[in-house]
Amino acid sequence: MPLIEARSLTHRYPGNILALDNLTLDVEPGVIGLVGANGAGKSTFLKILLGLLEPTSGEASVLGFDVRREGTQIRSLVGYLPEHDCLPPDLSATELVAHMGRMSGLPASAARERAADVLRHVGLYEERYRPIGGYSTGMMQRVKLAQALVHDPKLLLLDEPTNGLDPAGRDEMLALIRRIGLEFGIATLVASHLLGEIERVCTYLLAIDAGRLLRAAPLASFTERTGTLAIEVEEGAAGLAERLIGRGLPARIEGRTVLVDVSDEAAYITIRDAIADLGLALVRLEPRRHRLEDLFRDEVTDDAA
Amino acid sequence: MTRPDPAPVPQALAPEAAVARAVTAGAGGVIYDIGYRGYDGPRLGRRSAVWALFAFSFRAAFGLGRSGRAKVVPWGALAIISLPAVVQSAVIATAGPLGARAGGGFTYDNYLFRMNLLALVFLAAQAPELLVGDQRQRVLSLYFAHALERVDYALAKLAAMVASLFVVAIVPMLVLFLGQTFAASDPFGSFRDQLGSLPGIVGSAAVYVLIYAAVGMSITAFTPRRAYATAAIVAVFLVGSAVSPLLRRAGAGIGDWTILLNVNTVAEGVRHTLFGGEPNGAVATASLDGVAYVGMALAVVAVGVMAYLWRYQRIQP
Repeated sequence: MPLIEARSLTHRYPGNILALDNLTLDVEPGVIGLVGANGAGKSTFLKILLGLLEPTSGEASVLGFDVRREGTQIRSLVGYLPEHDCLPPDLSATELVAHMGRMSGLPASAARERAADVLRHVGLYEERYRPIGGYSTGMMQRVKLAQALVHDPKLLLLDEPTNGLDPAGRDEMLALIRRIGLEFGIATLVASHLLGEIERVCTYLLAIDAGRLLRAAPLASFTERTGTLAIEVEEGAAGLAERLIGRGLPARIEGRTVLVDVSDEAAYITIRDAIADLGLALVRLEPRRHRLEDLFRDEVTDDAA
Repeated sequence: MTRPDPAPVPQALAPEAAVARAVTAGAGGVIYDIGYRGYDGPRLGRRSAVWALFAFSFRAAFGLGRSGRAKVVPWGALAIISLPAVVQSAVIATAGPLGARAGGGFTYDNYLFRMNLLALVFLAAQAPELLVGDQRQRVLSLYFAHALERVDYALAKLAAMVASLFVVAIVPMLVLFLGQTFAASDPFGSFRDQLGSLPGIVGSAAVYVLIYAAVGMSITAFTPRRAYATAAIVAVFLVGSAVSPLLRRAGAGIGDWTILLNVNTVAEGVRHTLFGGEPNGAVATASLDGVAYVGMALAVVAVGVMAYLWRYQRIQP
């Protein structure tokens, strides 16, 4: 049984705004990235999976439960981290998380115990007894994650979990998500518009654009396609690109940087030798961070082919 | 010699111990990396969630588990609404039964009618406390993503308002009841004599509370800010009580019917119709049939509760 199953799922908001367009997909357990630009339909998809929004047409099921008829069962087994702020400032993290545990049907004592547990796992210690109103954005995101985990869900739906975090906060949040998915063994669907972040934690990637499924594949197949190496040299980029093209590598120039699409190990040796032969001063050699646009560009060329 | 049984391992610790990985650190110290524990215990589902939300909201209505500031209004209202009952009981205790008039002449029939301003303060302050924060801070999106439905949330909050307001209404009358019982020369006899008025006490509190809660919660559900909600509730009660006597004097045509614009008069009319005793305020002088008050009250409660539930079916968290 797939974790999530969608068949021709379509959703129109009032005013004839098409948010999801005939989406069909199967999701297996793992850490799944749901990537798409803002407004691509990610949040709409998550809300439909939770049974909070009724799809205009099509079918979907989560953990074998139908999203239209069995929303309550789904919600008692799924944890949800909304994209926006959703925390009451006057409660402490402990109180809120325990309360949300009870809202999932946990007995009072179990809810208290699990609240203490999950708050420790997300990295909130003494501060968890203080009112949430005084928390930093990073701490609030942790509380949101804790309340989604408190009832030991079978599936986590995280909507832009790194929203508003600084780089260090992002790293910590991503590490936490990876740990939850791999170590805790909880299937996780992470929606984000930042492919660079999502590819650090996910094993499987769903790309959607304008409500349509662009691609669904294991992460590896994405990185193979967009295995671009960025080579920055002091000067002589043009000469390097020329030589690489002469050696059969697809190279192009972007300012002082030469971009090379790398397909196998041998390419690295070719590049090293080319730089050495030309006697260039190498500043930087790194894999290009993939961007959403790359995905879409590839898709367009695939379509054209 | 028998050794006492070792203390039973607390349930909570057992699975922890099973998973714990001991990591030796430094000078013989041991750090336990407990790791993540799943939950295999009971999941009590929707009914349990609704009950928990009711209890949580009832406590919130009295500011329990919140800051001291959150307690000022609810406990202040409860203290002040009970004050006349305490004073009158003290006067009766020192001056005998005749002291009741000197103590203010409060009875089970007129207590809530006279002191309704305090019930209004409690309602106007605490109905927004229960509803507006969840709307404004979008906590609703968390609630709706859990095992309870929209209607469950709405009913649990409404029940919490009714229950907390009922406490505010019943406590002073119980103080009066106890005061009159223990001030009597024969407490047992007095208790027996007064027992008959208990259904009336509980009933009249329920009448006021249901009408108040329906009005207050329906107004609050449509108001996105705490202060607006408070102002709107107060306005509905005060404007009604200010306008209805003016209209009554001026409007020859519709006559006594205009008193039904005053929420307190409606509540008092229903109380008088169902439980008798001395009529208070406009109810004493108007020539309306009891059915008019009861009908108006039922209409107010029905429309209020329906609008309230309708709102929570549609609200975007």
